[in-house]
Amino acid sequence: MRGGLLGALLAAGLCLPATARAADPIKFGVIAETSAIGGASIPKAAQLAADEINAAGGVNGRKIEIVVYDDHNSAADAVRAFQRAHSEDKVSAVIASYISEVVLALEPWAGRLKMPMITPGAASDDITKRVHNDYDHLKYVFHGYLASTQIADSVCEAGKQLLVKDMKAKTAVVMSEDAAWTLPLDNEYLKCLPQIGVKVIDHIRLSPDTTDFTPIFNKIEGEKPDVIVTGISHVGVQPTVQWQQQQVPIPMFGVSSQATSSTFWKDTNGAANGVVFQMASAPDVAVSPKTIPFAKKYTAKYGVTPAYSGYTAYDDVYMFADAIKRAGSTDADKIVAEMEKTDYVGTLGRIVFLGRDSQFTHGMKVAPGYITGLMEQWQDGKQVTVWPSSAGTAKLAFPKFVKLGQ
Amino acid sequence: MLGLQILIDGFAISSLYALGAIGFTLMFGVSGVLNLSHGAIMVVAAVVAWLFAGSYGAGPYGGALVGVLAGVVTAFATYLLVVRPIQTSRSIPGEEKEIFVLTGTLLWGIMLQEAVAYLFTNNPKTVRPLLPGVVNLLGVRTPTNEIVTAAISWAAIGLLWLLVNRTRTGKTLLAASINPRGLTLLGFELSRIYILVWAIYGVLAGLAGVLLGAFLGVSSDNAGTLTASAFSIVVLGGLGSVSGSLVAAYVVGYLETLTAYLISPSIRTVPVLLLLVVVVYLRPQGLLGRR
Amino acid sequence: MLKSPKFIATMVILVVMALLPLGVGGYILGLLTLAYYYGVIAMAWDLLFGFAGEVNFGPTFLVGTGAYTAAMLNHYAGWPIPVCLFVGAVAAVVGGAILAVPALRLSGPYFGLVTLVAVLLLQNFIVLFAGTTGGEIGLDIPDVLAIDAAPNYWYAFGFMVVSGGLLYGLANSPVGLILQASGQDAIEASALGFNVTKHKLAAFCVSALFSGLAGGMLIFYLGTVSVGTVVDLTIGVQVIIAAVLGGRRTILGAAIGSIFLIVAGEILRPLGQLSTFVVSAIALVVILFFPGGFLGILQRGEGRS
Repeated sequence: MRGGLLGALLAAGLCLPATARAADPIKFGVIAETSAIGGASIPKAAQLAADEINAAGGVNGRKIEIVVYDDHNSAADAVRAFQRAHSEDKVSAVIASYISEVVLALEPWAGRLKMPMITPGAASDDITKRVHNDYDHLKYVFHGYLASTQIADSVCEAGKQLLVKDMKAKTAVVMSEDAAWTLPLDNEYLKCLPQIGVKVIDHIRLSPDTTDFTPIFNKIEGEKPDVIVTGISHVGVQPTVQWQQQQVPIPMFGVSSQATSSTFWKDTNGAANGVVFQMASAPDVAVSPKTIPFAKKYTAKYGVTPAYSGYTAYDDVYMFADAIKRAGSTDADKIVAEMEKTDYVGTLGRIVFLGRDSQFTHGMKVAPGYITGLMEQWQDGKQVTVWPSSAGTAKLAFPKFVKLGQ
Repeated sequence: MLGLQILIDGFAISSLYALGAIGFTLMFGVSGVLNLSHGAIMVVAAVVAWLFAGSYGAGPYGGALVGVLAGVVTAFATYLLVVRPIQTSRSIPGEEKEIFVLTGTLLWGIMLQEAVAYLFTNNPKTVRPLLPGVVNLLGVRTPTNEIVTAAISWAAIGLLWLLVNRTRTGKTLLAASINPRGLTLLGFELSRIYILVWAIYGVLAGLAGVLLGAFLGVSSDNAGTLTASAFSIVVLGGLGSVSGSLVAAYVVGYLETLTAYLISPSIRTVPVLLLLVVVVYLRPQGLLGRR
Repeated sequence: MLKSPKFIATMVILVVMALLPLGVGGYILGLLTLAYYYGVIAMAWDLLFGFAGEVNFGPTFLVGTGAYTAAMLNHYAGWPIPVCLFVGAVAAVVGGAILAVPALRLSGPYFGLVTLVAVLLLQNFIVLFAGTTGGEIGLDIPDVLAIDAAPNYWYAFGFMVVSGGLLYGLANSPVGLILQASGQDAIEASALGFNVTKHKLAAFCVSALFSGLAGGMLIFYLGTVSVGTVVDLTIGVQVIIAAVLGGRRTILGAAIGSIFLIVAGEILRPLGQLSTFVVSAIALVVILFFPGGFLGILQRGEGRS
């Protein structure tokens, strides 16, 4: 009897430090719409990162736990999830959405509740502009993806080679969906395309609810541009399929978020053939030493390649974990202070956040040696990288009905 | 040239609208049901066709056939699980059955939509076209599939017309839409007529879904919009009037196409909404409806 | 009346609800805060449907008009919240009247369609004039009612209790009875000498007033206004489902239905994207088997005992 009691006491004594260490995991909230392709990758990739960190011993001896919230792509649901993450689940940081409208609705709440937040996929310039204008309140918000203006610049940079030299394009029509993220994108397109020698002859903004693109393509064709420069994310499958069915002879080039997913070929029945689109990381390119291993692991675990937001969400978990490790605390202000010092090589490249003096405060530095962006093309069922040119890059190839500039 | 283009494109989209709306109006005319899960049924048909034609290797024709079949099955499920229990319920007072059918089918539509989004994501799917390629129509390059869409839509509408006007079964349908009580007095069983009309409705909605999936592509998110557009066309034409719906479908299709070409694609639906308000205020029975 | 068990039970429940912030976490309070605002919208909808017999498919037209007016006044002019709320509510009534005067000549599905189209037009309008309305992104609002959960909860709770009391009183007053008569048999009601259209118009304006006010309160709670939160058709659908689920023609049932929808969504949250499916299925089952809604089930239980 007595021996048993003593033993129990001893065991309890031995267990004490162990339980204290393993007791409370560090929680990260992930808010995304999981029935959309862009949204589904976010919690999956975040979980993958957390599993790896935990397998390597966790952060300061604590495990990382991912708490997933489905926001059904609604700002109100997302705000509710954010409040829950803060006050009920007591998460230390939030990785939120790929839709700018949702992220912009969450931004004031990150400030009010003092909750570190990063978005792995939204692109609106306003996200970082607001941080720039109201740093004291909104410093908790980080932008884990390129801002629209940076994306447009990346497309133009690639255009110097691809559009001007390879495709011999002299004129373009900009075709974008009406949404928060395309306003700065279009502004920058209209500025930077002429700078690389491509004249913009028309600028079309279409409703994200559009299902019949016939009139739009016919109008564009009538204007005889050499290329259609795209800015689409909410739409993607439908314009691509109709472009192919109507055999619109003008190539599509630019941003097409849905095309970044590996299911795009199947969803469009192969109509994607020849579409050129911007991406920050790709499964076949060693943007950094981490890119290909991540894409392989993700594909092995989930059966599809990650969408663009998967790469970023994976990096975001690591960056938050590192910040917490360095801070030695989950205090929000300390996490923010350490996040600002981030210099991390992730699947996207070398990530450094811009400071208060930049208009993209807490946005990522986009420059050679940091993050540059890629151009990909769908060729016979595969996404291949066509820019920047290196040993592995493929040549542009278009379906027969597309006529390139002379 | 532009005129001809508008004429051709407007025609294809309008005939698809007509096919989508005609089942909806027939259903209302015969059984008094406004089925708000209409769009979701079209989505189910399209996604099933996409699944079978692509992943299961049934080819475009096999896929389309399975898709239409899925439309019929879903339509019957709607009738048996939602509409019939409400119609036969004793605890729902007669004058309130209409709002219960509306709410019930609305909820059912949301369930279908969510199930599709859960199983296949809400990314749009496109059904493999029956005939790929393009043809030159008087100088306008037109996808063959666009012509096929219009032709099949009209063939289906034509068959429906023959059925209603030239067969005995069809005439009972017509009679049921005018005076259901009189028909029961003559010894017809209304429940059998209802089953028939749901079967026809299922074929029409399934076909419209599959064709829409092949022509424009369909996402589970479109379910609500598809229902709303069928509802608008049917009200514009006159509730329960099949010919009115046909006219209205063309008015809507051409007005949208004209707006998209001549003004801006981003306000494509606005003139139609305004026209709808004006017509409903000035002529509530619709263009060809009876009071 | 004051001693009836029903009245006492209601009072007890209200007192418990009022004291909730003393014992419940901030997140639950936040959920209930939302539920209460939607509850007011659903009650206002029930006044129109349950009593005046008009199916309004576009409650969010009224909510959105009130919310956007209030939001823009606060965002651009910086007016204090109460003034914004008041003007927003007035705007909702004016908008409602413009919609209702011609629309009330129509009946059944036609009235429903006009209200539906009104929502779609408002939505298009907001997106077209994105420069001032914020378009798809929405507008952020400088002032909020309160930052802490408890005061926010009490604002919403007080607002719901007062609105519920007023709407319930109105519905059970002689005016309410006339409305009910006009809703069920308009011809007979007018034969009895009642001006049916005038009464229905009044009901529509009252409904608009509370909807607009609730929309305004809601956005000053959320801190942003966007199409997705106050205008979108799916919000209107939720309102209708809440009212029918709670028990139509009861006013109070609408609030119960709203609270149920939000709480059920929360309990089912672990199901992720499937939660909407399950909530819809539950609602469908209730409608099919208990058409009287939750209050109907309660009343039936009472009748038996």
